[in-house]
Amino acid sequence: MPDTSTSRAPGRLNLSPAPHLGASLSTSRMTWLVSLALVPAAVWGVFLFGFPAVRVIVTSLCAALISELASSALFRRFTLGDGSGFLTGLLVGLMMPAGVPLYVPAAAAAFGILVVKQSFGGLGRNWMNPALGGVVFALLSWSGAMTRWPAAGGASMSTAVLPPLEALRSAVSAPGAVGRPLDILSSHGYVFSSLDGSIVSWLNAHILSPFHATLAGGSFDIIVGYVPGRIGEVSAPLLLLGAAFLVSRRIVRWQVPVAFVATFAFLAWVFGGFAGGQGWFSGGPVFHVLSGSLILSAFFMAGDPVTSPLASTGKWIYGTGLGLLTFLLRFYGSLGDGVAVSILLGNCAVPLLDTLLQQRMPARARKGSG
Amino acid sequence: MTPSEVLSRGIARENPTAVLLLGLCPAAAVSVRVIDSLWMSAGVFSVMLLSSFCMALVARGRMDKGEIGPGAAAGGWLGALVLSSFLTASFELVLLSVAPEASAALGIYAPLIAVNCLVLTVIGESSRASSPGRALLDAAGKGAGFAACLLLIGVLREVLGAGTITLFPLPGFSGTFVIGSLAHDPARAFGFAGGGLLCLGYLAALARAVKERRL
Repeated sequence: MPDTSTSRAPGRLNLSPAPHLGASLSTSRMTWLVSLALVPAAVWGVFLFGFPAVRVIVTSLCAALISELASSALFRRFTLGDGSGFLTGLLVGLMMPAGVPLYVPAAAAAFGILVVKQSFGGLGRNWMNPALGGVVFALLSWSGAMTRWPAAGGASMSTAVLPPLEALRSAVSAPGAVGRPLDILSSHGYVFSSLDGSIVSWLNAHILSPFHATLAGGSFDIIVGYVPGRIGEVSAPLLLLGAAFLVSRRIVRWQVPVAFVATFAFLAWVFGGFAGGQGWFSGGPVFHVLSGSLILSAFFMAGDPVTSPLASTGKWIYGTGLGLLTFLLRFYGSLGDGVAVSILLGNCAVPLLDTLLQQRMPARARKGSG
Repeated sequence: MTPSEVLSRGIARENPTAVLLLGLCPAAAVSVRVIDSLWMSAGVFSVMLLSSFCMALVARGRMDKGEIGPGAAAGGWLGALVLSSFLTASFELVLLSVAPEASAALGIYAPLIAVNCLVLTVIGESSRASSPGRALLDAAGKGAGFAACLLLIGVLREVLGAGTITLFPLPGFSGTFVIGSLAHDPARAFGFAGGGLLCLGYLAALARAVKERRL
């Protein structure tokens, strides 16, 4: 038997048994870091929607942790420390409107942990993202409560105050809606903040006028995330900040989110204009990427290592497919945002993708990988 | 196998829905309300009982004529098919006259009883040349097993998905129990077909866990 210890003579090969990865990250450290990366967006949501947002997030976290504790007691396997229960709870809380009745986040988080994750054997064996599964369960069960939004800056619940994406959906169904998303919104009397008005008009007057370009009203609010919406989804810059941290630590592989967002933005740009009564290449991709739960879901849930393909090719196919599905569901579906359902449908295709791509690998490589 | 084992086999070890996974379509589609589950169970139970009994008589007759030996399969898929179709059609007509509302709720799933009962009859005790009494016991077990599953899922789905339990209306009783806080804003996902399949999945898992003595 050859000596595989790491005693190493100068100039000779270093033999050591697999695995050869130098990863110092344990699974639990990874999930805790993902939770950490979500904190800025959560803080923004709390700043925007106030105490009700705190109540929703705390309820969701408690429900997730209690469900995790109860199920781990049932399986006699203590899993609270791996952080995945906490992460699921946090994600569920962030995907709720701030004023939702508290049993909705509790039920969604419990459903995600108990049904989607633990019933299939716990972390690593779930074929569907637990947080998204829980949120879609809530969306199907309490669709009224899940689509009632508190206005940014105050906590009054109202069906009149819609997030930009939802407002756009109702606006384009009305006759005579022509233009890019923000134009349609302003022509239908959608109110953006006064800060947005002054910043956009200042930019148009002083910076953009030499280039004969104008910025549509509402651009600042959309980009910063000063709009009604779900607690954690509104602030794209803070979500991207967290995502950049995760990508730099190689916790989130960039292929899936990038393919996802790029495909969606491209399709929205090319074909999205038809929904607004315009032709090709006029869809307003920036608006569509920044509104809804696209950024949050693409970076924090679509790239989840458990429920996305293993191979790099698979990641690209998966991300592209998610972009296509989201485009179809958002522009032609009835479920509004379309991101959550697309990812769940994509999750279903992952085992198939993995199997197909494994069969395409050369026989020797397959043998080697066992 | 003792008669009590024949009876209990259909309820537990060979439960048509939870173990043999037969009749999943009607089980998921019909179990939205308890009353519909009850009518469906009644249909399956009665058709199973009658068709098994008749098939057992046929098998007995063929054995007496010396065409088949004792315990051999009676064959007769076609006979069983005609028989269970006839019985199912009769049940549909009875249902239409007795409970038109339930008949509308069962819809296409009432004729589907024929298929499930056909399969259960052919694989069951009745098509073997054994005594008609045994065949009846077997059919009763299977029918009760199906009814138990359907009732369990029906109660679970209606309570969680609508916050009510719908039973027969009686004088002085509307037929519906309303569970106050749940009926106000129930988890409607349980009323969808997906919710039905979810409940079925847990039932099948439970049955398997019991079978493997892991619970």
